[in-house]
Amino acid sequence: MELTDQQADVLNTDFIIQEEDSKYAGPSARCVLFNLENEIYGIQVKKIREVLRVSNIRNVPGAAYNVLGVINVRGVIVTVVDTRVMFNMPQQDVTDLSRIIIIEVDEEKTVGMLVDCVMEVKDVPENKIEPLSTTKENASRNIQAIAHYEDNVIILVDVDNMFS
Amino acid sequence: MDEEILQDFLVEASELVDQLDEQLVDLEHSPTDGDLLNAVFRGFHTIKGGAGFLGVTPLIEVCHRAENVFDKIRNGDVEYDAQVADVILRAFDVISDLIEQLNDGEREFPENDPALLNELDAIFKGTAVAPEPETAPVEAASEPQSENVSEQLHLADGVDPDGDMTDDEFEALLNQRDGVQDPSSSPKGLQLDPGADPDGDMTDDEFEALLDQRDSLGDQPAASNPNGLSLAPGADPDGDMTDDEFDALLDQRDLTQLAEAQEDTPPTIPEPIVVEKAAPEPAPQQPAAKPKAQPKSTAAKKAPAKANAESTVRVDTKRLDDIMNLVGELVLVRNRLLTLRGNSSDIEDISNAVGNLDHVTTDLQASVMKTRMQPVKKVFGRFPRVVRDLARKLGKDIELELLGEETDLDKNLVEALADPLVHLVRNSVDHGVEMPDEREANGKPRKGTVILGAEQEGDHILLSITDDGKGMDPDVLRRKAVEKGMMDEVAANQLDDKSAFELIMSAGFSTADQISDISGRGVGMDVVKNMITKLNGSIDINSVLGEGTRISIKVPLTLAILPTLMVAFEKDSYAIPLTSVQEIFDFDINNTNKIDGMMMVRLRERSIPLYFLSEWLNPQSDKTDSKGDKVVIVSVGNQRVGLVVDQVNGQEEVVIKPLGTGLKDVGGYAGATITGNGNIALILDLPGVVDRFQ
Repeated sequence: MELTDQQADVLNTDFIIQEEDSKYAGPSARCVLFNLENEIYGIQVKKIREVLRVSNIRNVPGAAYNVLGVINVRGVIVTVVDTRVMFNMPQQDVTDLSRIIIIEVDEEKTVGMLVDCVMEVKDVPENKIEPLSTTKENASRNIQAIAHYEDNVIILVDVDNMFS
Repeated sequence: MDEEILQDFLVEASELVDQLDEQLVDLEHSPTDGDLLNAVFRGFHTIKGGAGFLGVTPLIEVCHRAENVFDKIRNGDVEYDAQVADVILRAFDVISDLIEQLNDGEREFPENDPALLNELDAIFKGTAVAPEPETAPVEAASEPQSENVSEQLHLADGVDPDGDMTDDEFEALLNQRDGVQDPSSSPKGLQLDPGADPDGDMTDDEFEALLDQRDSLGDQPAASNPNGLSLAPGADPDGDMTDDEFDALLDQRDLTQLAEAQEDTPPTIPEPIVVEKAAPEPAPQQPAAKPKAQPKSTAAKKAPAKANAESTVRVDTKRLDDIMNLVGELVLVRNRLLTLRGNSSDIEDISNAVGNLDHVTTDLQASVMKTRMQPVKKVFGRFPRVVRDLARKLGKDIELELLGEETDLDKNLVEALADPLVHLVRNSVDHGVEMPDEREANGKPRKGTVILGAEQEGDHILLSITDDGKGMDPDVLRRKAVEKGMMDEVAANQLDDKSAFELIMSAGFSTADQISDISGRGVGMDVVKNMITKLNGSIDINSVLGEGTRISIKVPLTLAILPTLMVAFEKDSYAIPLTSVQEIFDFDINNTNKIDGMMMVRLRERSIPLYFLSEWLNPQSDKTDSKGDKVVIVSVGNQRVGLVVDQVNGQEEVVIKPLGTGLKDVGGYAGATITGNGNIALILDLPGVVDRFQ
């Protein structure tokens, strides 16, 4: 498997599991953490059905710009969006580390999010989660909150808002 | 309200409503059909039973009265004529509305329109001969004690019908009973106090009261007894009460209690149920037999397997067994393949297993498809009523014949076809069939006929609406088209008759000089056409002036499987519904013209617009050479267009899957499918494609 330097950095240095906060016993949000442009993003596990390797994405001419196309998930056609585009980042080619996170927004809505790489599942203590304070009005729509946890900043994605 | 019971009730009630809808109209043709009358009576009774359980008072009130009326009718006391039918049908509409509201989650209902209740009561009491039904109830209410109408025991006003009966009240009733009984020649019946709990056990007092009543009535066994609780005339008044008699009384008591669900009706509130009219036959079980004849299960069993709630299907267990069996086979084949994978045995074994797999999956697919199939009767069932009401309103005499009601088709189609068919049938009744006098003048029978038929034709269903009315005049249609500015005179005159008939399906084309509120606003036929096209179906119109019109609709058996033509641009494949494909030929630039900025291809003296699909589907293509391209001629609505594609890959039957989230608004696609090699192909929606290019 070939890693770009950036990705290798992320995997090797930034994200070593640290035990310092394990004494915290309060409620926590279990999140899948993934990487986009070297930042860590998290989505609550309860919203995620599965994480898939990238297979053939069939393009749908005429669809919105952020839609990469559709994939076949065991007989169900699922739309795949480019998460980079959703966060106003430049598009990037699919690599071996790229994954599609299948999100169940609600019973009828299932969406795949293409991300640079998926890192791990982590319980983020709720007392570490705080709303994003920003002066930029339009940027925060897809972001629910941020968490400062174990020396990392985790950006929690608001998938309900993102796909409503 | 218990939601689970409610849901059960709704499914059952909706089925009963569907049946009643049909039966009530049938009844007008054969008003003395005993089986039919019993079935209708049972239908109302069963709905009432369920409503009583759920405490939906307005529903109970109406059902109860309808049931009363039908009891009279089946006993021959009242004739089911058009006037009675109108009232009953109105009551039926109220019932079906209430059930629909329940289905929509409504739990509080306004009180019933007292006029309707009174009309029903009036029919029941035999006073509703008046053509002005508004006045009838007043009469009925004002003379409840008239000679012909039997007296009834009733409670004093203001008595709480739900409270326990006080001794005084009971005494009062007993006195009334005695008073009524002695001098008069008019019959009266046993009656329980209205406060009695119909579900509770009978108390000793109630029982005693009934026994007393029985004994006293027993002295005049021959008295006609149209009202009140009664025992069979032949019952031995002094003997012990038999179980049958006791049951009969219990039944009567339950029914009676329901009668006083209404509060603001005139003094005749506790309206007793007629169980038996003066009957010479001394069969003691007779009175009980009738009300007891409608337990829930009987009615439910009689109901054909059809579902009502949009999201559920009732499936014959036989079909499920078939599926289970096939799934079992599938598991066996899988096991065999797994074994074969382990010990890489010879090709023949594997190919046998795969062959087996092929068979099992094909059969399984067919079986699962069948679970979605429903008889077309579900759509047809509503038409007798539609035609009856419309014909009555227009003063026409029309008979509707239904053919091939048992034909099965996909549930989605059943639902999707309902509206277009209603429109077409209304058209036939309104515009097709002439007024009786006109028909007679033209040497036709006064009674017009509309035939609604369904039959399976290969993998299609053919639906037809045929009337023996006045037919359509192609010349009138041509003239209209010119008047409406749809085409010039020359073009109009060139249309053959068939094309002229098809004009009626163009938007904004209406030939009715007078617009009625029934049809003929010119919004109809083009909508019908679009709906049918959306179902991958086609419409064909045939008409002979003076003899009638036949409109045929052809739709695929199922919406789930679609025969398609696979086309491709580089490696992306697309599926075009095969029903729309007319012909395919090689693209030849020499055979095209650019007319008004649009490429057209010449085909047998016609120019057909060409849409280069690659402009939309493959815009980045650097392909400049149109060599090897194909033109696929498709029909969309009333027009033909040519689609230019890179390759044609042959036919494939595909399973339609919805496009993913957020893509349903992207025009031009009907869905997606997975092809034999596991890739995704997008299914083109031709009307959408045309919109995209216009």
